[in-house]
Amino acid sequence: MKDFMMIFIGADYEELGLSPEELQGRMGKWWAWNNKMEAAGILKGGNALIPTAKRVSGPDRTVSDGPFVEGKELVGGYYIITAENADEVVKVAEDYPDYDLGGTVEIREVMVFDQ
Amino acid sequence: MMNPKVVDHLFRHHYGKMVSILTRIFGLSNLEIIEDAIQDTFAQAILKWRNQFPENPEAWLTRAAKNRAIDLLRQSKATQKRIERVASGPAVSQLNEMFLDHEIEDSQLRMIFVACHPNLDSKEQIAFALKTISGFSTREIASALLINEDTVSKRLSRARKKIVKKSISFNFPDAHELPKRMARVMEVIYLTFNEGFHSNNKKILVRQDLCGEAIRLCKLMLKKEKLRSGELYALFALMCFHAARLESKISANNEIIDLRHQDRSKWLFPLIVLGNDAMNKAIETEEFSPYHFEAAIAAEHVRSPSFEKTNWHKILTYYQRLNELQFSEGSLVNMAMVQLQLGEYEAARANLERVRIKELGQRAYLYYGCFAEYYTKVKNIPEAVSYLDKTILRVTNELEKEHLLKKRDHLSALIK
Repeated sequence: MKDFMMIFIGADYEELGLSPEELQGRMGKWWAWNNKMEAAGILKGGNALIPTAKRVSGPDRTVSDGPFVEGKELVGGYYIITAENADEVVKVAEDYPDYDLGGTVEIREVMVFDQ
Repeated sequence: MMNPKVVDHLFRHHYGKMVSILTRIFGLSNLEIIEDAIQDTFAQAILKWRNQFPENPEAWLTRAAKNRAIDLLRQSKATQKRIERVASGPAVSQLNEMFLDHEIEDSQLRMIFVACHPNLDSKEQIAFALKTISGFSTREIASALLINEDTVSKRLSRARKKIVKKSISFNFPDAHELPKRMARVMEVIYLTFNEGFHSNNKKILVRQDLCGEAIRLCKLMLKKEKLRSGELYALFALMCFHAARLESKISANNEIIDLRHQDRSKWLFPLIVLGNDAMNKAIETEEFSPYHFEAAIAAEHVRSPSFEKTNWHKILTYYQRLNELQFSEGSLVNMAMVQLQLGEYEAARANLERVRIKELGQRAYLYYGCFAEYYTKVKNIPEAVSYLDKTILRVTNELEKEHLLKKRDHLSALIK
């Protein structure tokens, strides 16, 4: 088994101006997905990220304050799950709730270093 | 594994609660900032709750919305002094009291009186009430009322401007004003209900939402002793009886099912019971209002085991009394409809001939429909078809139009 990270991009709820009722509906879908992965024993962890950001760059360690990208390109959170291969993760990612809001899931395998 | 229990419509209803309570604290002039703050809170909540669900989600939302509102208001200079006063010092304990359950209800009631203030016109009142008290978004209001989002935004901003410009206060009306103001509140609630009940929106959920909100607001008013009246109970009963058969009005194929053909076993019994209880309280008063008679008519329909067994005599009496109390061309048509069921064809015709069609406005199609029914009953099929055509020409509701077209095809087949 390998670890994979699902990275959620776009679908910034604040920017999309969803109604309270719609937001509650979204929340229900996230939980359902979360619970499904837990029940399958594949979920290792994950978090949602706050949109504001800081960047440190260059030899002078220059600090700048973000967000740096538009809502539709913003990384909003991630999950780490275990699976045989990327195709299995693609299957899991089908339940991501926010495709209809323009959201995207990027799947990346976590690299394991040989001892 | 998380198994969070979130009440249906928690967010939507909590939105209304928070707007009311924060408006009471920070004033109607800050309404827009307050609404933004609460919106932000919900977006935050669902991200934060994804991994860790709070023990008491309502309390979490309340605390977060209050803090967010204070943050946003601090940023606006005009209110700074007031905010500092509210956010610190001895005012804090007073502020916390505002968040007790009965105070929240109190604030919501005040907001209902603001929404139904006579200085706003009725379209603005409904849109404003749906937004600030019921927590509908602009898009949801547009879809519920079948108007476009721009129109909703315009109505909302007009309402907000008027509230500030005319210095509408966030207090209960004075005792001497109360009956008049209550009459308007009940009217707005009933209009909202009718928007849902008679809507040609194909989404049953949207229609249920509107009817549900009207009933919820009415219930909220009934909780407050000084607002209770026989009339208010009657309005509540009336809406319960109608709502009980909302779902059976539309078939699985989205077609209208008329009263005669509705599956009565699908009527929601708990709502009928609720309506009955309210009706018993409503008739404790000496004076009966139009709502009383409308509720009595609706009760008679839900009480009957079948269309054929309906007590049309009783219903006719109620219509007559309703008409004496509040004459309307509409109830003349309704009366004629009942008389047709009773076989009193010529009396029905006489009533129809009294109707001033112009006064019916958009509901003129009901008059032509009733005439079509009359000619069907007296077996003058060609006239019946011709009146059905007139009806079809005037009906705006797509579902009803389809229903009438079917009826006409059926009748035309008889003469061929």
